[in-house]
Amino acid sequence: TTWRGWNIHSPGYPNSVALKHFAQTITKKTHGDIQATVYNNAVLGDQTDAIQQVSNGAINFANFNMSPMGQYVPKTDILSLPYLFNSVKQMHHVMDGPIGDQFAADMKKKGLVVLSWFDSGARSFYNSKHPITKPSDLKGMKIRVQDNDLYVDMVEALGGNATPMPFSDVYQALKNGVIDGAENNYPSYKETNHYEVAKYYSEDDHLIIPECLCISKISWDALSAKDQKIVRQAAVAAAKEQRRLWAKDSREAKKYVANHGAKINKIKNLKPFQDAMKPVYAKFYKAHPDQKALVQKIRNTQ
Amino acid sequence: MDRQGSSNSAEASTGHTVPAGLAVARRVLDGIAWLCMLAAGLGLVFIVASFGWLVYGRYILNNTPTWIEQLSLLLIIYIVCLGTAVGVHRHTHLSIDFVRDGLPRWPRRILHVLADLMVVAFGVIMLWQGWVLTLTNADHQLPMLGVTASWRAAPLVLCGALIVVFTVFDFIERLFTNPGELH
Amino acid sequence: MGLTILFGLFFLGLIAGAPVAFALGLASIATFIYEGLPLFVAFQRILSGIASFSLLAIPFFIFAGELMLHGGIANRLVRFAAAAVGRMRGGLGMVDVVSSMLFGGISGSAVADTSALGSILMPVMKEKGYDADYAVNVTVTSSTAGVVIPPSHNMLLYVVAAGGGISVGKLFIAGIVPGILMCLCLAVAAYLVAVKRGYGSEPFPGWMALLVSFIVSLPGLLTAVIIVGGVLSGVLTVTESGAFGAIYAVVVTLLVYRELTWDAFKTAVARAVRTTSLVMILVGCASAFAYLLALYRVPDHLATFLTSVSSNPYVILLLLNLMLLVLGMIMDMAALILICTPIFLPVVSDIGMDPIQFGVVMMMNLGLGLCTPPVGSCLFVGCVIGDIRIEQAAKTIWPFYLAIFVALMLTTYIAPISMTLPHLLN
Ligand code: NA
Ligand code: NA
Repeated sequence: TTWRGWNIHSPGYPNSVALKHFAQTITKKTHGDIQATVYNNAVLGDQTDAIQQVSNGAINFANFNMSPMGQYVPKTDILSLPYLFNSVKQMHHVMDGPIGDQFAADMKKKGLVVLSWFDSGARSFYNSKHPITKPSDLKGMKIRVQDNDLYVDMVEALGGNATPMPFSDVYQALKNGVIDGAENNYPSYKETNHYEVAKYYSEDDHLIIPECLCISKISWDALSAKDQKIVRQAAVAAAKEQRRLWAKDSREAKKYVANHGAKINKIKNLKPFQDAMKPVYAKFYKAHPDQKALVQKIRNTQ
Repeated sequence: MDRQGSSNSAEASTGHTVPAGLAVARRVLDGIAWLCMLAAGLGLVFIVASFGWLVYGRYILNNTPTWIEQLSLLLIIYIVCLGTAVGVHRHTHLSIDFVRDGLPRWPRRILHVLADLMVVAFGVIMLWQGWVLTLTNADHQLPMLGVTASWRAAPLVLCGALIVVFTVFDFIERLFTNPGELH
Repeated sequence: MGLTILFGLFFLGLIAGAPVAFALGLASIATFIYEGLPLFVAFQRILSGIASFSLLAIPFFIFAGELMLHGGIANRLVRFAAAAVGRMRGGLGMVDVVSSMLFGGISGSAVADTSALGSILMPVMKEKGYDADYAVNVTVTSSTAGVVIPPSHNMLLYVVAAGGGISVGKLFIAGIVPGILMCLCLAVAAYLVAVKRGYGSEPFPGWMALLVSFIVSLPGLLTAVIIVGGVLSGVLTVTESGAFGAIYAVVVTLLVYRELTWDAFKTAVARAVRTTSLVMILVGCASAFAYLLALYRVPDHLATFLTSVSSNPYVILLLLNLMLLVLGMIMDMAALILICTPIFLPVVSDIGMDPIQFGVVMMMNLGLGLCTPPVGSCLFVGCVIGDIRIEQAAKTIWPFYLAIFVALMLTTYIAPISMTLPHLLN
């Protein structure tokens, strides 16, 4: 059989490299029984469409970011809560353990079999005005966020003016002062050249969102136990490689932007930011009363 | 809205008796097409105005309305689906006629029926799959709007149904009003 | 086999005279069935094609164009052009070309230009002793400048078909010089034909009249400045610029020109809905089609094929241009942009051409297709307004084709023509 893989990134990206090796390993270890190929650059549709295609078996495997996953599997919305994880390391620890298995079980009900968790780094605010050290520094700033109510609420709770905007418009908008800032991780901050027009990058790591490597349940169930083992091992190896490449990419991107005029500051006291999130969490608990315990459980991990 | 594109039955009817039911049906379908145009036109004017409001909100109020982009993306689907159906009724879709119209009578008739069949088939599948998507999309929400994504797929059902109705009527009308040379 | 079904059914639909959008859609659906893919994916693609951020500006551009057309901007531009260039030999031909250039800067649609300028200028030309075929040929060919000179909704289609990553603003200004170049070439052709046929010239109304006609047409011309300026300055996104252009057009035609009646407004809305739907359903069905092209890796295969034919960039560019010209003769512009861009762009990038330059080349090339039989919407509209048969117009149109072809070759092979302005923007 042929297996088609969905990927949003361009060929050289850490995720793309890991996925390519994943596909090659499967093809090789099943002696060509499964011919797996990856379609990069989201040519088979954007992520919300691709999730539907994976759950219906039109696409066999994919690497999804967990942020838009919340639309389909509401229980994963919790991963979009600001300041949920303290560090990328903690996120890895949580997702690789029983809590990650719990998310995987919820996604399996929608036809997505999660085999391993990728990294998408930590997102922080950057802007063209001044470094941010306390929430009031964000007051009145127009900050571009992704289309998600939680992110809009987050920026508003910090006193900013949340401005959803297509990603492709952000550079020009920053350059001309249509917006004052945005938020993203280092590799993206570098790739999009946003560091040229918004040079104050303030590390607050407000979102540390995992990604998943998942197989369509339809494709998964059609595999023999032996092949399932092959695929699972390949997926775990892919995650290891992706995390390594990502960390390297992230370090290099940080160094690069710092050498090209970006002013980076690490926010030392995150407490006021976390405290400002109380209404966001309250609204979230109201919508998902059963999730309060899970948030505590994640908070208690180290 | 303008009805100018909808009167091709008038010139076709010369010399042939048109069943009264057909004339009534045409008036009903013309009316439906007009209502579609009205709804789509209101939608267009609304999204133009709402983007004016978006810019006003961002620059003057410093409080950007976050729902406008997503709502516009939803509305444009309704506008296009309604407009597409009306386009079928008024024969305004882009198509290539020169091959067919350059052929002798019988091949021409066959191709015309084939084209109609293809449009009907497309309409039926659109209606059916639009319904499938409407049901499956009920499991997730549209961002910023707080409604399910079913609202995004529903216009396909309407558009598919209207395409079928308009095309079938066209076919029947051609049978009655123009059995001779033209088609 | 899958590709045979896809293209076979598509061409069958075209030949049978089914709407292009539905032929694309049905051919895709049949191929989905053949591949055992769930059918809903085809309609998911159609929905995503219609509802895309990057194309939301299209209805706004079209609406603004319709408002200017029905609100009295076109005749003011013609009056200004007549005062400026009417005194040359074959003066009305020159007026036609210059009006198209100005109007092209406002409207995003070549067919709108043809119908607007044709209905104003053709009767005057005939009355002054110009032949109908000349009037039609000049009007039709020069109206394609509207596709190359910004704003142009076809350019938005190109940006989306290219998979994002191209700046709309840069593509917009990249079109300005090639658009003017195209009009210059057309003006030369119009002049030479006019001299050969012995057409006269118009009296010069005086500098004062020229100035007045310019001032009168200025508020209309500002629509283009608002749309393009909004995008370039980054003060507005493309979508917001389009909406602002439309709102401004309402204000100008209603309050300044006072020609926008309630009926004219309704007509503009209805026509904008009509054109928007035609274009966007095509975009939707073309994205279902493009999904399968990507699945079968057609772009990769074509690139391999073309580079095996020749490794010389000049030859490859010529081949691509000829392919587009042939396709442009039989198919509509929007559909071709959506289908050909993902296939051709990787080839072009491989030989080192900037995607922005190729975008301008593609606009100009497919613009020429709008004036060629058997399928040329501008030519059709022009012949209807000029009241002559297509064969009649086609017999004497070749000097004008040649003019556009010269501009096309210059734009293809001399990068600075299109790329100087975008580079200045940085
Ligand atoms: Na234009
Ligand atoms: Na043509």
